[in-house]
Amino acid sequence: MTNVNVNVHHLTRVEGHGNIVVDVKNGDLVKCEWQVVEAPRFFEAMVRGRPYYEASHITSRICGICATGHATASLRATENALGVEVSEQTELLRKLVFHGEIIDSHVLHVYMLVAPDFFGVGSVLPLASSHPEVVKRALRIKKLSGDLCAMVSGRHTHPIAMAVGGFTHFPTINELLAMKERLIAAREDLDETMALLATLPWPDFERETEYVSLKKDDEYAFIDGVVATTDGFTYDLPDYRKVTNEYMVPHSTAKRAKHNRESYMVGALARFNNNYDQLHPRAKAAAEALGMKPIVTNSFLNSGAQAIEMVHCVEDSIRIIDELVDRGIKEEPLYEFQGKGGEGVGSCDVPRGILFHNYVIDDEGIIQGANCIIPTNQNCANMEADMRALVPQILDRPQEEITLMMEMLIRAYDPCISCSTHFLDVEFV
Amino acid sequence: MTTGDVHRAPLATLVIGLGNPLRGDDGVGVRAIELLAALTLPPDVEVTDGGTQGLGIVNLMEGRRRVIVVDAADVGKPPGHFSRFALHETHLLDDSGLCADDSGLNTRGKTNLSIHAAGLREALLLAHALKMLPENVIIFGVQPNSLEWETGLSPAVEEGLPDLVAAMLAEVRDSVQQHGAPSAKS
Repeated sequence: MTNVNVNVHHLTRVEGHGNIVVDVKNGDLVKCEWQVVEAPRFFEAMVRGRPYYEASHITSRICGICATGHATASLRATENALGVEVSEQTELLRKLVFHGEIIDSHVLHVYMLVAPDFFGVGSVLPLASSHPEVVKRALRIKKLSGDLCAMVSGRHTHPIAMAVGGFTHFPTINELLAMKERLIAAREDLDETMALLATLPWPDFERETEYVSLKKDDEYAFIDGVVATTDGFTYDLPDYRKVTNEYMVPHSTAKRAKHNRESYMVGALARFNNNYDQLHPRAKAAAEALGMKPIVTNSFLNSGAQAIEMVHCVEDSIRIIDELVDRGIKEEPLYEFQGKGGEGVGSCDVPRGILFHNYVIDDEGIIQGANCIIPTNQNCANMEADMRALVPQILDRPQEEITLMMEMLIRAYDPCISCSTHFLDVEFV
Repeated sequence: MTTGDVHRAPLATLVIGLGNPLRGDDGVGVRAIELLAALTLPPDVEVTDGGTQGLGIVNLMEGRRRVIVVDAADVGKPPGHFSRFALHETHLLDDSGLCADDSGLNTRGKTNLSIHAAGLREALLLAHALKMLPENVIIFGVQPNSLEWETGLSPAVEEGLPDLVAAMLAEVRDSVQQHGAPSAKS
């Protein structure tokens, strides 16, 4: 009878460290775990006692990849707590920089972390030697998205110009127009990206689950909206805990989440499944080329959904730039504290899925309580449910292939363990 | 310290501060470049906060003649002290990895530099593989005392900052003397 023992310590090509453990005895799956060890939650402690205007700068440092996402969710939580209305220009600029971060993160994941599996190499380094044109294309797209972020938020890495109520730095019309030209030119690289993805042998695996994301009536939602699920539930943002229902499991100290089923999925595929109708026509065409139409239930295709979102974000960035140029850029004053605190929830659908920040601010403007629920924690239970479903289907294959499939499955989620654990240096025996 | 116009050609020399200011002394690189950027620098020098990004560093390095990196690193010295290395003096591009020993040196005389933000090594390896490495890559590694989740530097690292920034300033000025003004040659 079949015995399989998969033990991947420190799964590579994910952000941070996590373990995969699969144990099959006599054909029966006796153990199937995705292990992440979480240090105490330093995040809340770091913002408690700090003035409201520092929170976005502190939390943007939690993650080098999702700096803008954390900053935006943080600002929305603060603004909702303090009753701050932001201008249409601020909303447009935030969407623009957010698109930059989505492209930046997705191109890194699709090309540098996922593609090596399909090319049969261990990392992007041999890929750079065997297929330099592929890696150089990825770096071109990454440079464009990094420059887009820097143009809006003032810096390549951390969005220093993003503040409560608005921005402290504004792009010029000439910068916007030059960026538009570069975005249009990038369509060729995006087309090549979709053509490449269409040739990849995506594993054949289906498991239906509940998909959770932000949703808006008038656009493909990344910032604000309501929380929606493919099981038909919707919640206003202050009710986010009705979706996340955090709980602990013994083998992993990262908190988990579940809603209507044993698990749910967040991220690009969840957004695609909930908000397909609002994708740009070019992004829909890209989806069609990949054979993707909602509801897609193959988790491996989260990477496909990421590429589709890259197309959408490039096109929507061009639209936003046109609108900003038509309106003209105005240097708007920032919010001034009114001596009245409150509680607020901010939510963004960051590259890896829906993110919640929740602050309680006192009448002195000091943060007295904070909660942050990140996407990777919400996905942990679903990753494990996928593993349990996939293992029995591939038990007849060589152990190395089973191991690789499990690694690819986890990597498809683009887990950011460094963020979910709040700690990089986790050692396992 | 902004990036300026993102559409123009990159300046010849880039100074990158790496690390996470939420991780105690890991923020020393970011603090050092903040201090450096406040000084009068040669016109072809750009200073940037690289934070904890990984492969994005390749994009920042592209088209430069010299890149100077400052980061917390195990250089086998007391906290707050630093070492300066040219890339070829380190094992960052070797397969052998980053194991530090007590002396900070191995038998072949190269430095076993242990850099906290491992993304730098991946970025250097990728740039190397794509033949995109700048002519000169200089690394200032600063010995940290604590990498716990906290803001602010430990006193020893704080005290070491003036010497570190002075050395970096000398380095960027030296780069101008050695390499002249930026030209079309890359």
